[in-house]
Amino acid sequence: MAIKRYHYARDVEEALSLLLAYEGRGALVAGGVDVARGLPGEIEGLIDITAAGLSGISREGGRLVVGATATLEGIRTSREVKAYMGGFLSEVMGHVATLSLRNMATLGGAVVSAHPWADIPTALIALGAEAVWRNEERTERAPVEELYARPFRAIFRRAVLTEIRLPAWDGAFAFEKLSRNAGDIALVNCACGLGLDAEGKIAWARVAVGATPYRAERLVAVEELLAGEVPSEALWEEAGHRAAAEARVGDDMRASAEWRRAVIPVIVRRALERAGRAVMGDR
Amino acid sequence: MAERKVIGKPVRKVDGIPLATGQPVFTLDVDLPGAAVGKVLHSPHAHAEIVRIDTSRAEELPGVLCVLHHGNVPRIPYTTAGQGWPEPSPYDSFLFDRKVRFVGDRVAAVAAESEEIADEALRLIEVEYRVLPAVLDPEGATAPGAPVIHDEEDARGIHDPQRNIAAAIDIRVGEIERGFSESDVVVETTCEFPYVQHVPLEPHCVIAYLDEEDRLVIRTSTQVPFHVRRIVARALGLPLSRIRVIKPRIGGGFGTKQEIILEDVAAALALRTRRPVVMKYTREEEFVAARTRHPMKVRVKLGAKKDGKLHAIEMDVLSNTGAYGTHSLTVLSNVGSKTLPLYNKAPHIWFHGKAVYTNLPVAGAYRGYGATQGYFALEVAIDELAEKLGIDPLELRLKNHIRAGETSPIFEKIGEGREGKAQVIRSCALEECIREGAKRIGWSEKRGKRLRDGPWVHGVGMAIAMQGSGITDIDMGAATIMMNEDGTFRLLVGATDLGTGSDTILAQIAAETLGVPVEAISVYSSDTDFTPFDTGAYASSTTYVSGNAVLLAARKVREEILRVASGILGEPPGELELRDGRVVSTRTGKGVPFAEVGHRAMYVTDQRHIIASASFVPPESPPPFAAFFAEVAVDVETGRVRVVKFVGVADCGTPIHPRLAEGQLEGAIVQGIGHALYEEMLLSKRGGVRNPNLFDYRIPTAADVPDIEVVLIPSEEPTGPYGAKSIAEVGINGPAPAIANAIYDAVGVRLYRIPFTPDRVLSGICSPAVLK
Repeated sequence: MAIKRYHYARDVEEALSLLLAYEGRGALVAGGVDVARGLPGEIEGLIDITAAGLSGISREGGRLVVGATATLEGIRTSREVKAYMGGFLSEVMGHVATLSLRNMATLGGAVVSAHPWADIPTALIALGAEAVWRNEERTERAPVEELYARPFRAIFRRAVLTEIRLPAWDGAFAFEKLSRNAGDIALVNCACGLGLDAEGKIAWARVAVGATPYRAERLVAVEELLAGEVPSEALWEEAGHRAAAEARVGDDMRASAEWRRAVIPVIVRRALERAGRAVMGDR
Repeated sequence: MAERKVIGKPVRKVDGIPLATGQPVFTLDVDLPGAAVGKVLHSPHAHAEIVRIDTSRAEELPGVLCVLHHGNVPRIPYTTAGQGWPEPSPYDSFLFDRKVRFVGDRVAAVAAESEEIADEALRLIEVEYRVLPAVLDPEGATAPGAPVIHDEEDARGIHDPQRNIAAAIDIRVGEIERGFSESDVVVETTCEFPYVQHVPLEPHCVIAYLDEEDRLVIRTSTQVPFHVRRIVARALGLPLSRIRVIKPRIGGGFGTKQEIILEDVAAALALRTRRPVVMKYTREEEFVAARTRHPMKVRVKLGAKKDGKLHAIEMDVLSNTGAYGTHSLTVLSNVGSKTLPLYNKAPHIWFHGKAVYTNLPVAGAYRGYGATQGYFALEVAIDELAEKLGIDPLELRLKNHIRAGETSPIFEKIGEGREGKAQVIRSCALEECIREGAKRIGWSEKRGKRLRDGPWVHGVGMAIAMQGSGITDIDMGAATIMMNEDGTFRLLVGATDLGTGSDTILAQIAAETLGVPVEAISVYSSDTDFTPFDTGAYASSTTYVSGNAVLLAARKVREEILRVASGILGEPPGELELRDGRVVSTRTGKGVPFAEVGHRAMYVTDQRHIIASASFVPPESPPPFAAFFAEVAVDVETGRVRVVKFVGVADCGTPIHPRLAEGQLEGAIVQGIGHALYEEMLLSKRGGVRNPNLFDYRIPTAADVPDIEVVLIPSEEPTGPYGAKSIAEVGINGPAPAIANAIYDAVGVRLYRIPFTPDRVLSGICSPAVLK
């Protein structure tokens, strides 16, 4: 690393102007977790945005709005987050890394780094989270899922992610992760959500799997399979198998594609079971 | 037996406060003015000849002090293994060589004004390699036509360099063929141990400098300060008297610091630059270029009579020593010598194997030292034998394990790189260990029940093990105790506390013998200029070997004290005893405080310093014994394994400091659980380490530690100091086989390869043999 300058940005405007001024040779830093893992050699300036006023967490109606520099542990323990979707997001944060890393790492960092093995993108995609960012011209927003389908790294070389907005869902979510030991990244993970209509049929379903070892993806075919059906063990089982058939799965040094394919039905079924129980418990 | 006041008591660790309060006690906690930074250039190739090396651009970089490589240092063959004498490991290493033999091998080293400059200098060294075909598979290492890794003519002590065999062993007792043909039941099993790393909290680090008398001082994180002195003297062609090695507090070693990894290079750089040189390995370098456990394939064949009496044991070992043969013969020997005596009832034994060179990371000493690999195979095989015989594996072990008063021919057959020495077991509480462990895990209630909790199916498994206490007739520990005029004592030992707590243990032994509290003993370890010799902290030796030396020295000091006190009290020494810091007459009850004794000897009458030294060479190596019980839960849908409970019960003789002994046992068990469940260095097709960091290579964290119960069942080892034996290593031998056997009990899957990843477990569960 050839870092020459370290700036503290007082607000988003300053962070953005500094970032633009560096013309690709600057990088934003919040928790610094990924910076510590190594930066591209051309980066000369670091722009610290932890004091830029982006760490808030608030509820807007049923929605949850989380600032880009809110720490993962701050999110995990936040009363607002615990009150959102039965504490689902708080539970997800509990699966991420270790306490000491969660005290550093931020939600914005997790979204922008978008590590394929990460847990947070899986959860955010399932939740239909929306990212909000500021660039030279305007404030823009897009669902995280859609963002990942675009060249998002290029976007954030010239923009500051400011917040993540999480919609309200009438239903419940559950998260499942398989890893080697405590604090480890996922060998595979999934997040599933369900809502029921008045007749007890599935009104909507959200299913995302990640760390396959590719970045999280939503499995729309599985969601469609579930919609309109009456919850049952057989249905969860079927959805799990469909998920394994739909998901893009590969080998890496942590686990084989074969194993991932064998366990995706299990974790999807388990997540749906838990989400289903939570929804029906609500009624 | 007199009541013991210090032995067996959980006294405060003598170095606890400075460690806990962050005092500057470690190697790199001191700053030397003018220190330069040393860095190593590592080979990118598994096997290559260095055709040309051009260091001119690196040397021209401002701030670069020197660059060393094979062209500008003397060529002297040596071994990096810090072992006793005669050195059992081959002399197949050089400070720098014309050839590199693994990805990470030393090509050159730089000393520079800063780390950044040193890194830049490494990039500026131009090396032209002629890449050679590499041996990346131990099975193929000995095949005809395989590339010869050590073709240098000046290497010495290699068993068969042309066939890449660093060391070999072949030991027969009885007639093995007859043994198997007379057996009613025979099982055969092959288990594999992969590359695993020690991962000490503190990586290798060293400061080398020349003192005011132009002597070379090496302050280093080592388990073997005296071997460092001897080996560096050899490697650099220096007189031993010109070298001083200082061992401060050590942040863990587990065997990897029984190696000379950086001391030789740092010393060479300091001599060349005449500046202090600081070197430290990064975590990545620890994985790539330090040492590992010897990966092994161990085949065990057992023959038994119908009643369960073992009749024949064959153990066949293929050990991968990597690019250099450090500890190759002795680790190989220990696979058998530390396991086979446990089952001493078998009259027919064949132990054979070889340690082969490969162009892969270098293996070395690692807690357990071959026994760990041996026990994994042996104890899984015992479980299989029990099943085939229809006998409870616990009963089978009770029927066959060694007892006090018994011996094994293996003791005499296998020693430290040579023949061993006959030995009778004088203390053994293994039977009690097994029974206690079984009770605590709930063996009879849980075994074979496959209790289910959702997808989690529970099972229990066990293993037993032994180790040794030092190396017979080779290890040597010495101690010096001097009395201060205020009646306190200074204890100087060459023994190397690497975080085990051995300084505290040794202080307790001195304190008990001298009738004072531990606080009256100030311990110093170790400095080759100022402390007496000790072979070092390895082979589970310190409590037993160095402890006996301290005991002998303390007895001598006691005699001196009695003599002086006799003059004060006017009573013969035979009527006096040492008690609570005083010399007391057993007849009159009159006494004199140590302070008066010390003052009188130092300043008043018949002046002399009350001081004594003693050495101890172990005439035998009494094994500690342990029984291990694991309860696991297996998620049958994903293959994940959770250790629900682990019980380790050990006989380490008299635990001098029970809390520290339990800590050793517990720590070894956790390390063993790491081996069993996640640890494995993955290698690329080119021989490089793919996961050289703790993000990809997982070790157990505090959050992973299951419910572990450790229990010490005391025995009285008559040859040990206050009845003590070792405890450092034995605990790592049990977890892998106990967990493998527990997984089998839970789901009927036999795992022969470590680690037991979800991938491997699930593919076992899904195999046709298990599904039926």
